[in-house]
Amino acid sequence: MRGDDQWPVETPEQVALSLPLSGVGARGLASLIDLLAVFLCWMVGLFVYSIWGDLLGQVQGLSWIGQLLLVAAVLAAGWGWDVAWEVAWRGQTPGKRALGLRVVRLDGAPVGLGESLVRNALRVVELPLGYAPAVLAVALSTRRQRLGDLVAGTLVVQERRFDLSRYGAPAAVEARWVALKVRAPGLLAPADFERLFDFLLRRAEFEAAPRAMLAKRLAAALAVRAGLEPPPPGEAEPFLEALHAFASEEP
Amino acid sequence: MTGPGAGRGAVSRPRGVAAFVRARRAGWERLDALVEQVGAGRLTVAEVEELDRLYRRAIGDLSLARTAFPGTDAEGYLAQLAARAFAALYRRRRSGWSRALALIRSEGPAEVVRHGRALALAAGLLLGGLLLGALVTALDPEGFAWLIPAGVREALAARRLWTDDLLTAAPGLAGGAIARNNLSVAALCFALGLTGGVGTALLLAGNGALLGAVLVAAWRAGLGPGLAGFVAAHGPVELSALVLAGQAGFVLAAGLVTPGEWPRRKALARRGREAARILALVAPLLLLVAAVEATVSPAGRFPLPARIGLGLGLAVATWSYLWRAGRAAASASAARAGRGSSG
Repeated sequence: MRGDDQWPVETPEQVALSLPLSGVGARGLASLIDLLAVFLCWMVGLFVYSIWGDLLGQVQGLSWIGQLLLVAAVLAAGWGWDVAWEVAWRGQTPGKRALGLRVVRLDGAPVGLGESLVRNALRVVELPLGYAPAVLAVALSTRRQRLGDLVAGTLVVQERRFDLSRYGAPAAVEARWVALKVRAPGLLAPADFERLFDFLLRRAEFEAAPRAMLAKRLAAALAVRAGLEPPPPGEAEPFLEALHAFASEEP
Repeated sequence: MTGPGAGRGAVSRPRGVAAFVRARRAGWERLDALVEQVGAGRLTVAEVEELDRLYRRAIGDLSLARTAFPGTDAEGYLAQLAARAFAALYRRRRSGWSRALALIRSEGPAEVVRHGRALALAAGLLLGGLLLGALVTALDPEGFAWLIPAGVREALAARRLWTDDLLTAAPGLAGGAIARNNLSVAALCFALGLTGGVGTALLLAGNGALLGAVLVAAWRAGLGPGLAGFVAAHGPVELSALVLAGQAGFVLAAGLVTPGEWPRRKALARRGREAARILALVAPLLLLVAAVEATVSPAGRFPLPARIGLGLGLAVATWSYLWRAGRAAASASAARAGRGSSG
């Protein structure tokens, strides 16, 4: 996360809070997903409708007022999609939810109906130009705002999903690792603990050879720190598991 | 500093991150659930008190995590949770509608009046282009022929008004198309401000020249009254909207060309905000144009004098409104500034 992509929020508690802003890539992808979803809805709707009715004939049969309303409805549907979801899901459309983005106001509160209407109405200005102004504005502005955000006073922030279960109660440790127990506290800095757990969580995704190599290196480095003999090659992962379990225990 | 070799750490450091999380997790998750409820529905008084208490605890936990466990997921989780809880607790009510209304009633007109030179430049380029187009076509019918779209040229040659084709078939559909077309020209006028204003100037002068050339060509072909009747009702407002969009483009360009003492990036963002307020006026104006163009303008519905009156009246009303509202907003903010400096 780059430092300049944070929007600081002031709190009366004197604790600095900041919202991580999302960039062009994630937002572009999110709007592509939404576009696709709207397109699919239209396709399904028209397909189902054409089974029963003569679509073209009915459109031509409308009065000019009716046709004007129809065009307005078609244009508004894409707009309404975003507004409806953003209000219902507090700042998220399906695309934004898939990428963990959320629209919030400058003070961090979720968007309301009015703000959502304004920020999405200004899409009309950007759409005919292939979203070029939006991409430029998001890339250039310090708050990563497009025109609509600027006018409505909103931001798009990136939310991360954290899994606290990694801090769960430690598993039982085999007796042969007891020597580690005395040295485990203080051996791992909090960030090291996280990386060790990341490895243990994701090791199943590795091929056998790199997995064994990584485990061996990690175990060797940590064993040296603890002042122990490095574990034999096949024992590297049990060693790491034991270390993690001891580091998770109550001191 | 946080490395394992940091000597005294073993004594002064709080217990491990895992134990810390396990001890506090239930409170955080309860806070998370309460924050979700704030948006979804109502909270009882007891729940609000609980929310407040849990928020303060989470803030304390965040401070602890920042110093003791920096870079961990626990810290990231707490920072995000605290930001969400803060927003839920301290949210200010300012409805989006009042914001939109303020844009149209005072903030937008104030920018229009404040950037008078950009406005004069945009209006001058459009009118200059119009006069040039008319003059050249009057002197030499082929002079600007390349500017006029092929379909229009053929229609003129056949002494038929192309606007009839456009609007007799399906006025409603054409109305939608016209609104979109106007919007994209206006948006382009604004966005080309990023070319330092060159693109905006070319677009304004070019559109003016096209209009002038078409008007004179139609008049020569004996279609003058018909075309005048068509454009009279919506033309003046449409040109006004275009001038405003051009003004917004020039304001944006000023951020690039004359950033003053600001870095260009900041100047652009600042001018962009000002230009956006002007654009917020363009959108409703263009909706008005589309409505008039689709209902009043097609031949035969209203007599010519009524249309001319409506067109001029709308334009005069628009500009006098912008002028009055802009001046009022400017003097109000000047009064505020004066009070601020004297007291």
